[in-house]
Amino acid sequence: MEKIPIRFTINGQKKEVSVKPNDLLINLIRDDLYLTGTKYGCGIGECGACTVFLNNKPVLSCLTLASAVDGKEITTIEGLDKENELHPMQIAFLKNAAVQCGFCTPGMILTAIALLKENPMPTETEIREYMRGNLCRCTGYVQIIKAIKSCAEGGLNESI
Amino acid sequence: MSQFRYAFPKTKEEILNILEQEKSEACIVAGCSNVLPYIKDKIIPPKLLLDISGIEELNYIQKNETNLCIGATTTISDLINSKIIREECNLLHQAAEEFADPTVRNRATIGGNLADASPAADMAPPLLVLDALVEVESREGKREIFLKDFFIGPRKTVLHDDEMIISIKFKNDPINRQGCFIKLGLRQAMAISVVTIAMILKIEKNKVKDIRIAMGSIAPIPLRLFKTEEFLKNKEVNDDLIEGAKNKIYDEVNPISDIRASQEYRKYVSGVLFKRAFKKLTN
Repeated sequence: MEKIPIRFTINGQKKEVSVKPNDLLINLIRDDLYLTGTKYGCGIGECGACTVFLNNKPVLSCLTLASAVDGKEITTIEGLDKENELHPMQIAFLKNAAVQCGFCTPGMILTAIALLKENPMPTETEIREYMRGNLCRCTGYVQIIKAIKSCAEGGLNESI
Repeated sequence: MSQFRYAFPKTKEEILNILEQEKSEACIVAGCSNVLPYIKDKIIPPKLLLDISGIEELNYIQKNETNLCIGATTTISDLINSKIIREECNLLHQAAEEFADPTVRNRATIGGNLADASPAADMAPPLLVLDALVEVESREGKREIFLKDFFIGPRKTVLHDDEMIISIKFKNDPINRQGCFIKLGLRQAMAISVVTIAMILKIEKNKVKDIRIAMGSIAPIPLRLFKTEEFLKNKEVNDDLIEGAKNKIYDEVNPISDIRASQEYRKYVSGVLFKRAFKKLTN
């Protein structure tokens, strides 16, 4: 199959690679760039584990073609820390014990950051509404919502 | 995953040229949120995926004195963030907010939701009651199709192989503000609809002056319930009228049983949703 050359930025680094037309963004991120923080869950857009930022908006990397990110900017969970300092949302998740098995955590954190960028002080209902597509099979939702609330109250000053 | 080809043209003309050459071999995509799962599940054969998300001129929401016009690649998130949609046709805004979740809404487009032609497409009932027109284009030229004539079966539309959706438009009418959308799913989030209803209602002197009803997942296509509308027009609003209308709805809908709900249940709740929507708009 003919490969397609693409250029994009991931976590601030410029990349030039060639991808097959049917390569998914999640495979590019995990298998070619070895950024395994992004998780492969359901593969059909139901669970949110593969969430990444594409041009600063959260999208599902299992439903995005690698070839479609040409010229775009991607941020994964690995791109959140600044000079080895965790992102405030990551700290909030740790402090509130919002991580159990950890599989949903990268997607949860990215979607939660997107929420606070749109709505800096969400109510609990608004948090639940926005996080509706990110599933936690350990069912640790109470702590996750607490973490997002505490991060909002602490102010999310970071711009990523 | 199966192999397929991919093209990412930067102009509408390139898209139309490729469509003319490839015809049914080409499958137009924008967000891919339906098409990739279909390819994975082998529901559609691998083809040429023709990505139109790079065509800037197809992403817009415009209001003029007579019409409201939405470009085909406008995402569901764009609808949610639009003041025009929120103020002028809030029922479409309500449907967008019920649609999947923010990550999918950032990719899924209004044109894709209609072209997919699922009986459960959440954009269809609100646009049906807004009397929307679908503007399509091919190398041969443009044509406009009323949305009520656009769907012909599950995943089937009147679109020709060489045509693409350009925009969706409807009259900018104050009555559009008097609408609501209700979705019943198996859970509150990320659920495919069991039954949906969109309604626009105008009451004058306790009589139904104008009513438009459309429902999803209750027939092979998203359906405008013209017979029920006719039954309700110019009648006095009371409980008997609502019960009478429910019986009309039971006659007009034609649902199937599937993994989400039985035919009987869908029929029953279509009446319940009608009553809820009617009460919501009369209170």
